[in-house]
Order: sequence, then structure tokens, then C-alpha cells
Amino acid sequence: MNSYFSIAVIGAFLPAVVLVYALAPRRVRPVVLLAASYLFFWSISGALLVFLLVSTVSVWALGLLLGRLQTRRRGALAVPGCDRKACRRFYRRAMRGVVAAGVILNIGILIALKYLGFFARIAQPLLALIGIAADGPGTLGTIGVPIGISFYTLSAVSYLVDVYREGTAPDRNLGRLALFLAFFPQIMEGPICRYRQSASALWEGRPVVAHNLYRGGMRILWGLAKKLIVADRVNLFVKTVFDAGATYDGGVIALAAVLYTVQLYCDFSGTMDFAVGAGQMFGVELPENFRQPFFSRTAAEFWQRWHITLGSWFRDYVFYPVSLSAPVKRLTGAARRVLGNRMGPLAASGVALAAVWLCNGLWHGAGGQYVLFGLYYFVLIWGGGLMGPVAERFCAAVGIDHNGRAWHAWQRARTLAVVFVGELIFRAPGGTAALAMVARLVGGFTLASFRDGTVLSLGMDAADFAAVGAFCVALFVVGLLRERGTRLFGRMWAAHPVARVTVMVCLALTVVVFGAYGAGYQPVDPMYAQF
Amino acid sequence: MQRLGRPVRLLAWGAVAAALMCAVLALASHVVMPKNNQAAFGQIDAAANGVLGERADSLDVLFVGDSETYHSFSPLQMWGERGIASYVCATSAQRLPYTRTLLCRALTRQRPRIVVLETHCIFAGFDEEDEALRALKDLFPVFEYHNRWKSLTLGDITGSVRFTWTDPLKGFTLKSATEVRAADASGYMAPSSELEDLPARNRRVLEDIKAICDAHGAKLVLVSTPSTVNWSMPKHNRMVAVARELGVDYWDLNTGDTKVDIDWQTETCDGGDHLNLSGAQKVSSRMAALLSDTYRMPDHREDDAYSDWDEAYTSYGRQLAALA
Repeated sequence: MNSYFSIAVIGAFLPAVVLVYALAPRRVRPVVLLAASYLFFWSISGALLVFLLVSTVSVWALGLLLGRLQTRRRGALAVPGCDRKACRRFYRRAMRGVVAAGVILNIGILIALKYLGFFARIAQPLLALIGIAADGPGTLGTIGVPIGISFYTLSAVSYLVDVYREGTAPDRNLGRLALFLAFFPQIMEGPICRYRQSASALWEGRPVVAHNLYRGGMRILWGLAKKLIVADRVNLFVKTVFDAGATYDGGVIALAAVLYTVQLYCDFSGTMDFAVGAGQMFGVELPENFRQPFFSRTAAEFWQRWHITLGSWFRDYVFYPVSLSAPVKRLTGAARRVLGNRMGPLAASGVALAAVWLCNGLWHGAGGQYVLFGLYYFVLIWGGGLMGPVAERFCAAVGIDHNGRAWHAWQRARTLAVVFVGELIFRAPGGTAALAMVARLVGGFTLASFRDGTVLSLGMDAADFAAVGAFCVALFVVGLLRERGTRLFGRMWAAHPVARVTVMVCLALTVVVFGAYGAGYQPVDPMYAQF
Repeated sequence: MQRLGRPVRLLAWGAVAAALMCAVLALASHVVMPKNNQAAFGQIDAAANGVLGERADSLDVLFVGDSETYHSFSPLQMWGERGIASYVCATSAQRLPYTRTLLCRALTRQRPRIVVLETHCIFAGFDEEDEALRALKDLFPVFEYHNRWKSLTLGDITGSVRFTWTDPLKGFTLKSATEVRAADASGYMAPSSELEDLPARNRRVLEDIKAICDAHGAKLVLVSTPSTVNWSMPKHNRMVAVARELGVDYWDLNTGDTKVDIDWQTETCDGGDHLNLSGAQKVSSRMAALLSDTYRMPDHREDDAYSDWDEAYTSYGRQLAALA
């Protein structure tokens, strides 16, 4: 069960869980989901389940402790004659200590299991300079990484911080918190849920109803289509080109960057379709992680539409706290005095933005290319913010209509180019390789490989390109409809039952026939599961 | 009753959708199935499936297994030496579920007296997912041949499936005796009393294959072909035990009285993994003698019904001469 789109999960595990859940009494249903989630986790990560249990129990206990401190503080503040300022300071310190303990424990486990090797590699030459011989991560490196640790750790931390901020009440029910963190459709690749978004709904044990089964089933089929028809098919080309990096001409590298972006989108959003669809089968609406990202007009907007739950997590738990910290506030004040009320805060926001993009890059993996990827978006988004007023003045001066279609089309094309280059850096097998490929893209761009047919010899033939192209058109149409507020899968339920079933069977047949699986194809592993 | 109503209704709807899906898959399977068993028609593993083009009930021996099999057994040499009518239904890196599939497929047209299973594939790992996918492919060939959408013609929709082709070498893969990469045979078949692990899943499918052979009146025989890379004493020991438990004959051509003396400097094409023509000729000769002497396989060389085998043998001889 190393992929949601395996026969074991789609053909056996999910239907079995839905069946047992549907037949179980309401009170038992959440237990069924929790047991299934732990079974799923164990089937992939085995004994590493213990790390998930540690995270769960730690944030549960610390959440209760925070709740107790909040109650005591309220009690202390209600006492007549209390020094309210000192009291608040005392409890704030105590609660911050509790949150810090939880964050250090959970992020510490994440760093120890996932990043120690990376940091050790960086530190080794530095330590060697001062005569200290350092080994790698030692035994930690052999423990392995539990599936979804990057996802459930962020959910666990968000719960603890939300309890500290009093946006969420501490949960006494360990089972509910455990299910919130371990729910199997989201454990592998998210979405990164907030406690108030899914915990109660999951624990309610809502009944399985035909409407939700159909909606969920269609959503999963749609995700399967993205994965099998596009992601696994373009893998042949993407792998061939990226494995040999800069030996190809700029035209081939450009095509590989475009196809990799499409692949990543189809793989990741396809998996999100599984997560949301499976959630719907159990009557739970998980948050969406994608909102037509390729319709974005700026890089910043792109990141509000792509991996939404990660972006909003960094916004709420990194950007705001850094922005509102005392040193950055002082910096903002100073910048305001020097650069003015508009540019000053924009310039100072670079500190928080840098923190966000460093974390974002590193979250994706322990590698130089990920740091470069974060830096790339930091420069683009921060620079875009700083240059915004200048661009506005320039457009006004030369008479460009900011709200015109032509300008919007240009912005979208520009953003797409930015995204393609970003994904090229992201996919390259290391920072140096990424820079070499970008250099080749810019310095060696030619369409010769398209003219002489070389592109058709790199893993995909003309029919493969046609299949990918046709499905991308379908994706574009569905995306356009969603952008305009039309929810196809929701609407379909209102259609005649025969039409409903026919659509489902046709979609399933499309996946079976046009999916890239079997002889000659190598399915790509769930791409975000490794992050 | 009210509580049971919803699940029952859901199951009923699910059953209707599943039935419809099965019908559509069956229809799609008919469309994408190669209409002839040649590679040019889109047939996967055409050489192994060439057995379907053999005259019905004409084969006495079927060889099944992985690449060890089609590199070791030459049916036409066995024909030339002993008049045995046999065919090699083997594919590269074959796993037991596919062995079972190919065997069942061959048994729809043939009634062999002996089924020889080369033992290397018995140890090859596979999981539930591989087994499930294989079952799905057997049930609905669209899962195997779906990629033929790229080359479909109108004839694929209206035509019927006909198996008319057979492999000129009867499934054997000819690796010239000049193709040599010497093997390091220093640790080959080193004495050991250990037993190689045989996963329960593999054992179950092997038992299934035995039951299929029994049901079709065929005798299952296990044979290990010489290979320094793939064979060892622990595997031999395990096979001896398994053969005893299943009540089948086991011949190991790597050791003991039945050992075939392979010159590992000149008779392997890839460092001891597979045999070249010279090695295969030795193994085929020994196998033909075993089948003839021990199992009394009939000699069809004087049988007019097998005249096409004489033609194939003549052609094979020309091929060998061209290689010499």
C-alpha cells in the first residue's frame, strides 16, 4: 500500500473500510477510521508508527496543560486586587514554555529523522576546517522516515499553537486528536488540516450516503486519471531528460520543465483528489489544496492556489509570528522612516518572507536544490512586491490597461514561465545541476530537437503526447468551469441516474484504456510523499 | 430494517455499477485484444504465446518458467534427437502467477503429458498486488493490452481473435555459441545444508500449478537448469524438500548424477546467468534423454502429422549452420 492509487488501496482497503464503517454503529465509526488509519500507516512504515503516537500523545497532553494554564489564568485574573500585568506575563511565559516544548519535540523529531543527514553534510567540511572529524547522522540515518511526517507534524504543531492562541479549545478526547492527525487519506501527502477543519467531523461518525459515495468516487477516479494518464506517462520523458540534465538542448529542457510541472500537478493534485474524495465518502470535507494554480497572474498568487494548506500554514505559523516579533517590528519602523509608508513595510517584510521561503524550500527536502527553489521564489515574490509600485507607474505612463485581458494574459504567461523555471530547479538532481540546466535553457535554446524528431525518442511517442495534450485540455476546461464556480462532480448528482452511472463508467474506462501502466511504463512514486 | 435499508441499497447500486463496468471492460477487452498472436499484431510475449498456434493436442511436453528456461531448452534439438514434441512457454523475469496464466492458456489447446517447470522463477518475489493485477489481466485483457489504443483499427472492433502463428524456434531463444562472457564459478554449488526461504505466497501458487497439471492429466516435473548466478545448494535443498512434499519429480542439472557439465568459461553468454547455444545444447540433450528414458515420451519423427516439425527442424539446422 505504498500509493493511494494501488490496487490494494483502491480495490480492497478503501472499499473494506467504507463497508465496515457503513455497517458499524455511529459511536464505533470513528474507532473504525482510527484503526484503519493506524493499519494503513503501519503497513507502510511499520514500527515507525511509534513516532506518530509520540506526536499525538505529546500534543494532546501539552494541549491539556495549556488549557489548564488558561483556566488558572482566568481564575487568577478574576481575583480582586490581582496584579493583572504580572499575572498575564507569568502565564504567557508558562504557556510559551509549554508550546516551545511541544514544537521542539515534534519539529525535533522531524529534523532528526529527515534533515540530520543534510545538516551533517553541510557541517562536515566546516567542522573539518577547525580540525573536528564528524560522522554523518549515525544510527538515526538507518531508522527511516515515517510516512507523512512532514504533514502530520505541521498539523500537530498547528493544533498546539492554536490552543495557545485560544483559537481552538484543548481536546480531552485523545482518540479524536489521534484521528485528526492520522486519518489515512491525508496522512501521506496532506492536505495539512487545522484541527477545527476536520477533527470534529471525523469523530462524528457521519453515515455513508449514496450522494457522498458518488461524489467521492468520481473525485477519486478523476485523481486516478490525472495520475495514470498524465503523471505516469510523462515520467518517461521527464526522467530521461532530468537524468542527463544539461546534455540536452534548451528546447528539450524547456519541454521537460513544462512536462515536469504538469506531472507534479497531476500527481499531487490527483492524490489530493483521492484524499478529498475518500473524505467525502466518510462525510468529511477536507480542505482543498489546489485552486486552478495555472490561472495565477503572479508568483505570489500561484502560491495561494498551489499547495494552499502548506502556504497558509507558513503564513499563520511563520510569516505572522516573524512579522510581529519585536525585532522585525523595530526594523519595519526604521524602514518606514527611510523608505516611506508604502515601501518601508514592503522592504521589511523581506525578513519574514525569507524565513517562510527558507522553511518552504527545506520542508520539501534536504537538498541544495530545495534551498535554491525557496530562494528563487523569495526573490521573485519579494522583488515583485517591491517593484509593484514602479510597474504600476510605468504602465500608467505608457497607457497599459491594468485590468485589460491582454495584460492579464501577459501576466499569466509570465507567471507560467516563472513556475516552469522554478519546477526545473526543484526537479534537478541537485543545486549545481539545476543551475547548469537553467544556463542551458537560456544559453542553448533551440527548436532543433522538435524539428528533427528527437523529442519523440526520449520516452514518449506522438500518441503519448496526444494523450497528455488531450487530457490537459480536459483539465483546463474543468479548471475553467471551477474558476467560474461550477462544481461538476456536485452537479452530476442532480443528473438522471443512468447519466450519472454512464459518466462514471466512461471515466473509469478512460483511465483503464489511456492510463500509462503495465509493460513499458514505470509508475512514479507518490511525489509529495517523499517530502 | 430501516437501519439495514441504506447499506443494502448502497450495495445494490454498487452491484449494478460493477456489473455495468464488467460488461464495458469485457467489450473493451475484445476490442484491444490482439486479433492474432504475433508481435506485429500487438501480442505481448509472442514467443511464449506462440504455443497457441501449435496444432491442438500435438505437444507432449510444455516447458514453463523464466529466461533460464528459454535459454536452456531447445525443443527443436529435442525433436532432432528424440522426436519429442515440446514447446517453451517462458518469459523474461517471469513470476509464478504469470507462469500459472501461461500454463492455463496453453492447456486450453494442448494436453501435454509432462509440464516441466524451471525452478528459478519459483523463488522470484511478487506481492498481492502483482497477483491481483495478474488476475485482473486474465479476467479482462484490456488491463494488459490497453496500450493498443495507439494502433487500433476498425478490424479490431469487428474482427475475432485467431491464433495462427507459432514461434519458429518453439519458444527457444538462440544465443550464439560465440556470445561468451565467462562466469566466476568459484562458489558455485558450494556445499551447504541450509534451506533457501520460499515465501508462502510462492508455495501456494506452486501448489496451484501442481493442481492444474493434475486436473489436466499432466505430470509436473521440476527442473533446475545450470546457472552459477541463480542457483545454489540452499535452493537445491529447498527444491528437494518441496518436491518431496508435493509428490513431484525434481531434477537438478547443477549437481549430482544429473549434473550437466557446463564449461563456465565458454558456455554462458552473460557471466553464468544464462547459457549460450553451446550450453543449451548440452542441457537440451540431457533433458531429451530424461524425457525419453524416464518418462517414455513418444518419438513422433515418423509421424506424418508432425511433418511441420521436420520442416522447422531443417530450418533450425540452417540457422545453426549460419551461426557456426
